Amino acid sequence: MLVSAELPLRANLSVLENIALVPQYRHNAKAHVANERAWALLERLGYTACAHLRDPDLDFEQRFVAKLLRAVIAKPSIIVIERPGLLLPDTPYPRFLAEVLSQLDKDIDTFRIVDYAWHAPLYPPI
Amino acid sequence: MARPPLPAHLIKHLGLKVGLLVGATVFIAVAFLVYTLFARGLFEPTRTITLIADEVDNIAIGMPLNFSGFPIGEVSRVTLTEQGQGRVEIKVPTKHLRWLRGTSIFTLQKSLVGGAKIRVYSTDLKAPPLAPDATPQLHTGDIGEELPALVARAKALLDNLERLTQEGSALDQSLGHSNTVLGRMTGEYGVLEGMLGSADKAKKVIAALDQSNKLLASLNGLSLKMDRRVFGQDGVMDQTDKAMQQANAALLQTRDSLKKADAILADAKEASTDLVLLRSEIDASVNKVNGLIDEINRKWPFAREVEMKLP
Amino acid sequence: MSWLTDLLTRSGDALIARFAAWARTLRFGTVTLAGILSPGLYNSATRTVVQKQIYFTAWQILFGFNLFAAVFSLILIRIATTAAQNYGLGDLALELILRILVIELLPLMTALFIALRSGAAINAEVALMNITNEIEALHSVGIDPLRLEFLPRVIGGVVSVLALTALTSLTALLIAYLELYGPQAHGFADFTWVIGQVYSPLLLFGLWLKCLLFGLAVTVIPIAAGLDSPHKLFFAPIAVLSGMVRLFFALMLIEVGSLAITYL
Repeated sequence: MLVSAELPLRANLSVLENIALVPQYRHNAKAHVANERAWALLERLGYTACAHLRDPDLDFEQRFVAKLLRAVIAKPSIIVIERPGLLLPDTPYPRFLAEVLSQLDKDIDTFRIVDYAWHAPLYPPI
Repeated sequence: MARPPLPAHLIKHLGLKVGLLVGATVFIAVAFLVYTLFARGLFEPTRTITLIADEVDNIAIGMPLNFSGFPIGEVSRVTLTEQGQGRVEIKVPTKHLRWLRGTSIFTLQKSLVGGAKIRVYSTDLKAPPLAPDATPQLHTGDIGEELPALVARAKALLDNLERLTQEGSALDQSLGHSNTVLGRMTGEYGVLEGMLGSADKAKKVIAALDQSNKLLASLNGLSLKMDRRVFGQDGVMDQTDKAMQQANAALLQTRDSLKKADAILADAKEASTDLVLLRSEIDASVNKVNGLIDEINRKWPFAREVEMKLP
Repeated sequence: MSWLTDLLTRSGDALIARFAAWARTLRFGTVTLAGILSPGLYNSATRTVVQKQIYFTAWQILFGFNLFAAVFSLILIRIATTAAQNYGLGDLALELILRILVIELLPLMTALFIALRSGAAINAEVALMNITNEIEALHSVGIDPLRLEFLPRVIGGVVSVLALTALTSLTALLIAYLELYGPQAHGFADFTWVIGQVYSPLLLFGLWLKCLLFGLAVTVIPIAAGLDSPHKLFFAPIAVLSGMVRLFFALMLIEVGSLAITYL
């Protein structure tokens, strides 16, 4: 699953609905079950405040989290985050990414971050 | 962390509302289909009655049969008989069959605008019901067309009447003759007086009476035979009876058409009860009748209710 | 001579482009029909979209549109009965109303209304989804946008057209009865008879088929037009414009076609 600045959220759905949509569609999960799962993920990252907002009302971090969780909730979750600098222009994103991904450790099977080579010094050494 | 349960949708009772709408639509669709099938008489037992018409012009399949303005049946088939007449089959739901009687009259009425109508008039609802194999006549032609013919016939009738009653006519003369005969018979030298004038003649009369008695006896025998011939099964009287019945039916029809003529004349509003006046009026108006027909034709659709009046 | 070749080439290209757009619309229509009929379409998410589409297209305007249709029907019925009576055809008034109002005008009016309201909305939304790359985004999380967004809209549109037509027609029939016979039962036999005369099962089937085609047209054509637009924001108005024009032609084509089939 690609998380990219060029792949927006569904504009007429709230963050919660955007995330819950994936299990609803792919596994025919009942609406309230899917909503609960989405809510649990948002809760873990502490972003429940934006659950009922739609795309234009979100700040960059919220939008990034929504996109990430939309990718995470689909199992198996193989995440590719493309150019995080474009997604999180106002945030020191390597640290933010590390925090978020560590909180979602159990739910992510594999992840890759694709970024420009000249941003490499920003990331902690692996 | 306590929080209200998450709603499945932001719209309240979304599923219920949509279900209601779809359910209502399906219900309307099915109910309407059933209703139209019912309206087309699919669930009703019907009987087909057959009418014979001189011409089936303007008769279309699906045309209604109207009784007192209500559709009680519809034309299902139009064919040609062996005799070259039109055969019109009309499907009538059995519940409406009670309006059709043996004496019912079926007419096809045309108007200049709008479709033609088959109407049935049952003046006597106590008459025996229409027999299953009966083929009543369908009177075609619109009344506007029949009007001149009717007027011409009425005129001829009145002419005859006048010829009969005028001075010097046969009726007048025969009435005069009977008058003179009656005068002689009641006079001084009447027939009876002359007969009883002498005894001889009286004897002869008695002898004649004897002979008459004998004659009567033989006549009696003859009359017995006559009885058998005349009044017996298939005797003359029986046949006469039938002829009378047929004449009666014919008279009934004539009466009906006369009633119609009456109604038409009443509608024309120029007739009067005075026969002589009527006569002259008809004479004068026969020429105008063509114009009148046109006018009636034009007004026909509006005057329908008036026309419907039947005794 | 070259200007002539140039002119012919340009006009030919324009013609081909126009036909190609129609061909794409038709192709999308067939894909849609196949998709609707496949059971794999239906899941929790698509059901919600269908329900929402019906809610927004039909339920929201149910009362207002029905009221409007009732007033419209009342006026037309009045005109029809008065005119028919003036010409001495009073007993044909009902048939006239049933044939013109219920079979032709109300379905067309419903379709036009939904086309203007929801068709335009769908067109704009799909065009924007296409332009902002949302369709691609849905693909990326393993969701088929055709099945999630487009087919449910088509289903919702069709159901909405059918539902609104059925309800407005029912209202019109009630009004016609009240207008002709008053609030009494005595005209029912007459009314039933005329209904039986006008609505054969075949005609009813044709009516439903027409409404079905209307419903397909008011959703399939806007979606196809929206998908047709290039990924540039300034093409959105053009996409809506061309979609709406195509939709209008399609609706008229269906109406004229149905008239031709019925009366020729």
